[in-house]
Amino acid sequence: MAFDKIKPPISLSILILFGLILLLLQLLSSATQESSELSAMYSWLLLVNGLGSVVLLGLVGANIYSLARQLKKREAGSRLTTRMVSLFVVLALAPAAIVFYFSMQFLHQGIDSWFNVEIDRAMEDALELSQASLDQRMRWHLRQTEQLAGKLVDVQETLATLEMENLRELSGASEMTLFSRQGRIIASSSINPGDILPSLPDEHTWLQLRQNAEFVALAPVREDELMIRVIVTVKGKEPQYLQALYPVPVRIADLADSVEFAFVRYQEMHFLRHSLKLSFSLALSLVLLMSLLAAIWVAFISIRNIVAPVKALVKGTKAVASGHYDQELPVMAQDDLGFLVESFNEMTHRIARASDETRMAGIEVENQRAYLETILANLTAGVISFDAEHKIRTANQAAYRIFHIPVTQFVGRTLLELVQNYAELAEPLKSIQRLLEQADDIWQQRIAFLGPNGRQELLCRGTPLFSQEGRRVGAVVVFDDVTDLIQAQKNAAWGEVARRLAHEIKNPLTPIQLSAERLQHKLADKLAEGDADILRRSTTTIVQQVVAMKEMVDDFSEYAKPSKKQTVDIDLPGLVQEVLALYVLKSGVKFKVDYEAGLLMIKGDPVSIRQVLHNLIKNALEAIGDKGLIEISLRRVQKNNTDFIEIALYDDGPGIKEDQIEQIFEPYVTTKARGTGLGLAIVKKIIEEHGGAIWVDAGRRTPGTAEVSQASGRGDKVGAGFIIQLPACNF
Amino acid sequence: MPALTHADTPGLNAVERPALSVAEGFGVRVKNAEIMLQGDSYALFADIDYRLSARAMEALENGVPLYWDIHIKTLQHRDYFWDQTLVNAGLRYRIQYHALLNMYRVRNEGDGDLYNFSTLSAALDSMAAIRDFRVLERSAYVPGKRYAVGIKVTLDRDALPLPLRPIAYTNPQWYLSSDWTLWPLTK
Repeated sequence: MAFDKIKPPISLSILILFGLILLLLQLLSSATQESSELSAMYSWLLLVNGLGSVVLLGLVGANIYSLARQLKKREAGSRLTTRMVSLFVVLALAPAAIVFYFSMQFLHQGIDSWFNVEIDRAMEDALELSQASLDQRMRWHLRQTEQLAGKLVDVQETLATLEMENLRELSGASEMTLFSRQGRIIASSSINPGDILPSLPDEHTWLQLRQNAEFVALAPVREDELMIRVIVTVKGKEPQYLQALYPVPVRIADLADSVEFAFVRYQEMHFLRHSLKLSFSLALSLVLLMSLLAAIWVAFISIRNIVAPVKALVKGTKAVASGHYDQELPVMAQDDLGFLVESFNEMTHRIARASDETRMAGIEVENQRAYLETILANLTAGVISFDAEHKIRTANQAAYRIFHIPVTQFVGRTLLELVQNYAELAEPLKSIQRLLEQADDIWQQRIAFLGPNGRQELLCRGTPLFSQEGRRVGAVVVFDDVTDLIQAQKNAAWGEVARRLAHEIKNPLTPIQLSAERLQHKLADKLAEGDADILRRSTTTIVQQVVAMKEMVDDFSEYAKPSKKQTVDIDLPGLVQEVLALYVLKSGVKFKVDYEAGLLMIKGDPVSIRQVLHNLIKNALEAIGDKGLIEISLRRVQKNNTDFIEIALYDDGPGIKEDQIEQIFEPYVTTKARGTGLGLAIVKKIIEEHGGAIWVDAGRRTPGTAEVSQASGRGDKVGAGFIIQLPACNF
Repeated sequence: MPALTHADTPGLNAVERPALSVAEGFGVRVKNAEIMLQGDSYALFADIDYRLSARAMEALENGVPLYWDIHIKTLQHRDYFWDQTLVNAGLRYRIQYHALLNMYRVRNEGDGDLYNFSTLSAALDSMAAIRDFRVLERSAYVPGKRYAVGIKVTLDRDALPLPLRPIAYTNPQWYLSSDWTLWPLTK
């Protein structure tokens, strides 16, 4: 419904209410004027005004109560409202109280000043004078009537009427009546012939008459007419009563009336003095109370309206302080407060926008950081950053992969602390720490160490970081595992050498062999027995050496050419069995084979893998000689989330010297008197071509064992071990 | 002689119940009420006992006129409804002291008759007697129905001088009006 829309605004309601109150008060004050027509409504007006005051009192009380509750709850704006209301009440009350006090004073003194002893006296005197004057007249009429009565003594009843007429005219009475002792009318005469029934005295008069034998009194005939009633006894044989009514002259009656009216009025006022004061005070108090209450109530409403935007502002500010920037306050007026609210709205808008921007920037930065982190994490190079005290700040995934240390768990510690936990990496960590501490510029260093996968070579580059003021704030170390790269370089170089050797050496070998055989064939018959024998031995030696050289060159070309020709699934235990079948007949050597349960399959070239096994077993047999033990074990391992099949091969031969371990897989490194030194190099090449790794199992040897066995001259119990890991075949 | 009040009218339980007498010593009471058949109508004969309080007496002696209203009504009892008012009449008297004549003057406001009395009691007595006040036509009387006549005398406080009115409404000394006094109208 549209009722709300046509609801008058609150200010209009207040105006109407004020008008009503004023009207009521005006009516009340008008009613106090005696002459007013409203006088009859005085009580009602008083009641209505009283009720109005009670209603207003209730309203003000309710407002005060609600304000007190708000204060208790420390609601926004309640203290300001309290202060303003108190101020208003004090401001309104003080002048009102002063005016009230002086009005009351004036009222009381004014009413009191109406009465004083002199006027009192004068009033009573005036009344007495009137009474005295009337008394005199009454006495005179009494004497006159008594004289007239004398003439009526023993007059015949029949004559009495006539006599009465004479007497009445003589005396100037308006009516004259003769009563018998019992009150019967004997004769009567009136100035007005129409009056048949004379005025009869009442019982009270008869009583007095019988007591005093005469009676005189003023009798008000009508409202404004006075008569003097005189009754005297006619002393005859039979006592009779003569009543005469004398009119009081109009002038005298008026004067007496006027005096009486004034006296009565004065008397009444005098009597009502206190009531008058009371009722004026009552009216005045009511007026004051009602206006004050109305003013206070309106003050409450207006102050509430004034404080409303302040309240909203306080709430809004609190909300903003607690981080809610989406505050939009309604602008209720176009005044200063409205301007304040508008400014507040603008401010919150700006704050909201700024905070949004900050948030967006934060997200952007975070995204950038995450992006960089992702890049860092996916780098193959390990990256570790340090702070000014060389403590680790960040490290990427690759650092873990290279060092096999969860570097990220050691954030906030130095590398030296890492050394305590990972003693095997002491050397490289120490050298990096040293470089960090010493270097003032970008440095680069190649660091080699023996890792869990054999010898590893790192290329470390360190960059000290400086702040804008030139202060050192840390360093970044980037390191690459260049083991494979270096190995590949070496392999490539050796491959080239082998290919050239094969090409350059193999070509002349056939002519040499042919030439030697031709020399033997042509010259054997022509020479003496002794010479022929020399020739035969020499040519045999030449041919044999050439054949050996050919083999050597073949080995080289074998090494140089790629081995991985075709890849099939290979069942490793089967292959190992196959290879071992060729050696088991060899007396004096024991083979111990250990397979882990389950599928041990790899993908690879079976010929190459067979050669690897041949080479290693041959190598072991050569190391142990005629008697000994060769252990082979196969198992599945997991490394860097990839499955590997690990082939471990141990012998109990003399072992490998420590200084040879690092170069043992390079071509032309051998501990044996015979051999090309290519066996292990080829093995390594094949394994690497299959994506695997091979290293000497250093863990098997206890430190110092090699020296002990060398000193005792019995190197056969030390043993050597190789570990091969090949990527497992996943189904 | 006690007034014939509600307690003596068992049949008329629906009319107003008289409240307790306001105060000792002053107040107006109705006494000696009687209804008689006078010719072709029922007439009320009653005496009213006016006893003025000290404040009222003082006001009267200082020239304040007192107005008295004597309300008389005739009710017909109805079983399931409030009683029907058949006659609602009244008398209005003014009593005032005249200083010049040292008299109390009673005026019947109805017909304008004036009576002067040298004593207050005589003046009050003149207002006290209700004689031959017709309350019901004989023809209007239905046998079998129950009737009652009530009298109430009130001091018209609104006719008092204005300054006295708030006091008259609050001071018990001015609570002079009588309660309704009822008695049955029997054939």
